[in-house]
Amino acid sequence: MLLSAKHDWLGNIRGDILAGIVVALALVPEAIAFSIIAGVDPKVGLYASFAIAVMIAVVGGRAGMISAATAATALLMVTLVKDHGLQYLLAATVVAGILQIVAGYLNLHKFMSFISKSVMTGFLNALAILIFMAQLPELTNVTWHVYALTAMGLGIIYLFPYVPKIGQLLPSPLVNIIVVTLVVYYMGIDVRTIGDMGELPDTLPIFLWPDVPLNLETLSIVLPYSISIAIVGLLESLMTANVIDELTDTESDKKRECKGQGIANIGSGLIGGMAGCAMIGQSIINVKSGGRGRLSTLVAGTFLLILVVFLNDILSIVPMAALVAVMIMVSIGTFNWNSLKELKTNPTSASAVMVATVIVVVWTHNLAFGVFTGILIGSLFMAQRLSQFMYVESAYDDGTDTRTYQVVGQVFFNSSDKFIGFFDFKEAVDKIVIDVHRAHFWDITGVAALDKVVIKLRREGADVSIIGLNEASETLLDKFAVHDKPEEIEKIMGGH
Amino acid sequence: MTTSTKCLLACIDGSDLSNVVIEHAIWLAKNSQSPVKFLHTIEHSHRTENAHHEGTITPNMKEHLLDELSDEERSESKQLIAEGKVILNNAQKMAEQAGLTDIIAKQRHGTLPETLADLEDEIAMVVLGSKGEDHDGNRKGLGSQLEGAIRAIHSPVFIVKSTAFSEPKKLMFAYNGSPTSKIALEFIKRGTFCTQSLEVHVVSVQKNLADAEQLIEEAKAVLAEGNINITTKALTGDTIDELTAYQQQNNIDTTAMGAFSHGKVHGLIFGSFTTRMLLECSTNFLLIR
Repeated sequence: MLLSAKHDWLGNIRGDILAGIVVALALVPEAIAFSIIAGVDPKVGLYASFAIAVMIAVVGGRAGMISAATAATALLMVTLVKDHGLQYLLAATVVAGILQIVAGYLNLHKFMSFISKSVMTGFLNALAILIFMAQLPELTNVTWHVYALTAMGLGIIYLFPYVPKIGQLLPSPLVNIIVVTLVVYYMGIDVRTIGDMGELPDTLPIFLWPDVPLNLETLSIVLPYSISIAIVGLLESLMTANVIDELTDTESDKKRECKGQGIANIGSGLIGGMAGCAMIGQSIINVKSGGRGRLSTLVAGTFLLILVVFLNDILSIVPMAALVAVMIMVSIGTFNWNSLKELKTNPTSASAVMVATVIVVVWTHNLAFGVFTGILIGSLFMAQRLSQFMYVESAYDDGTDTRTYQVVGQVFFNSSDKFIGFFDFKEAVDKIVIDVHRAHFWDITGVAALDKVVIKLRREGADVSIIGLNEASETLLDKFAVHDKPEEIEKIMGGH
Repeated sequence: MTTSTKCLLACIDGSDLSNVVIEHAIWLAKNSQSPVKFLHTIEHSHRTENAHHEGTITPNMKEHLLDELSDEERSESKQLIAEGKVILNNAQKMAEQAGLTDIIAKQRHGTLPETLADLEDEIAMVVLGSKGEDHDGNRKGLGSQLEGAIRAIHSPVFIVKSTAFSEPKKLMFAYNGSPTSKIALEFIKRGTFCTQSLEVHVVSVQKNLADAEQLIEEAKAVLAEGNINITTKALTGDTIDELTAYQQQNNIDTTAMGAFSHGKVHGLIFGSFTTRMLLECSTNFLLIR
């Protein structure tokens, strides 16, 4: 472990430092924008990004992943800040961190397996839409200058990388900020600047216990927010970890990541920062810029702080239009445009799950609700599909006046009515045999359906016998250990 | 894999020491009549040569990046596999010329420690060089993966430090009565691999002579059961200094000892005795865990 730790830190020094600087430059506008979304001073998001990035570099489970203040968590804080103020947000951040550490110890990261590809696509699309919507206040009731500046910014962001040589050297979002700021400054255009949005950091962050009364009332105010933040933070962090695992063909420690996110949020809350989590876009930028190790995340956080503390005067005159251009780029880049094309080609159920996830998130501004909805609808579709794998064959033997029903497939809550429907209760026969050795009864609803069938057939005067119930009901036991033993699974599922 | 006989696994990477490792492996395989397996590991750098610093989030960025990185790693892999094949062919040829028949060559992806851990069931003994291809030319010092590789498995490990092959003749067994050294004692008693054809020197260094002599008696008794001819020596003083001095006076070519009886944290704080021995003593090593 120590060997791998050394490799995580020092395996790629040059690449990590360069990538960390690129990420820091991209993080500054985002941290400011997310502070504005949450309704707090820009310094809250900037301190948070510093604290979270630096701490997660040490305690996180995925080397090379970038965590900072994020839109996903900022969206959850809006009403808390509006109703109770910043200090309650800091308290909620600390509590969310504690919950995430607990989640780590409880191995809750394993539930990520319930999140399908459709839910994940829906999550990202919804995030993109919400980030875009958050820019609208800056684009309504403003002079034409703002539209022109934003358009210019977007032009620079997308076209500058095509400029030979320097296009690949300087991050184009930074060039956008510099150029738009210079234009506004020298032409004396009167537009809103970052300085108008609230305080910027002018000192290094200091340790501060959130100024809230320590009582149950406070807890009851912050807890609902903390729970949402903890869940959404872990969701986005674990999704991002999967993306980085895939990109770099390496593995991450998901449990450590959960606990790490918790520690980082506690740290953020205690130096006056808001809650955050891993950022998919920034993490991909990091990998694309050559970042692989923990050093890249540490450099990103540290360089961000140096940048904002020393350049806060310059930062305050940056027009909001430049920032909006950056956030529109983030929004466009986060949205999965292929998913629109795939709406036609993917199975309807997959599309329904994706669209439902997006709708619920955009409606509630809470990514967790969207994910739960997606999981729920996805599971219902799955149950529906499994029900199709069940049928009952029947044969009649004249000599003995016996009707034999052979049940094949999965009998559970969703297929039990269909199961009952296969039996002919009006037929007058002497004997009825129900052969279930090729069936599986997955839950007590399935068993109850069988009971019901037997009782009904008896009432009609037939002698009913069941064959193969032992094999069929083995699936009833919640023997999760079965999954580790192929021969056990073969014994239960064999022949299907 | 559990049914096949365990084999002697020689880890080679084309570094300066590789040929010496192969020759030792051949010698050990002949002595023990076990099959020899040559292993070459393919390690990805997981770094990229073409980093893009434009810092924008663009649509389908992940998919594009994934394609780019997997193409890059594919060509890296193909090259490393081809290089490894040459190294393995050379080893196979050397083993055939030496008259061995049961020879296997194997390539696997991953670092040496994780590969050894994966293959542990098939391993009777591992032969590896004290440092790998990344350390060529660096005369002193140990390879960065050495400790991890030794700790990854519980099979005995033969570590080649000598830069040219000469048939092992004299084995110094450093015995201090620790649990791992007792395992080592049993291993030597069994006389598999090299130990039956060597002149075995059992050396014990303790703070006072009486303790050392008692340990020697203990070892003698055990080895007598295995009919191993031994020379013994009880010494006092600094363990590493005394062992190195004894080695030089008696032209010892191989040092056997129990290895890494303490955990990694202990080693980090106090420094590992095994690591210091590996650094100070110029013989080859037979480490037993």
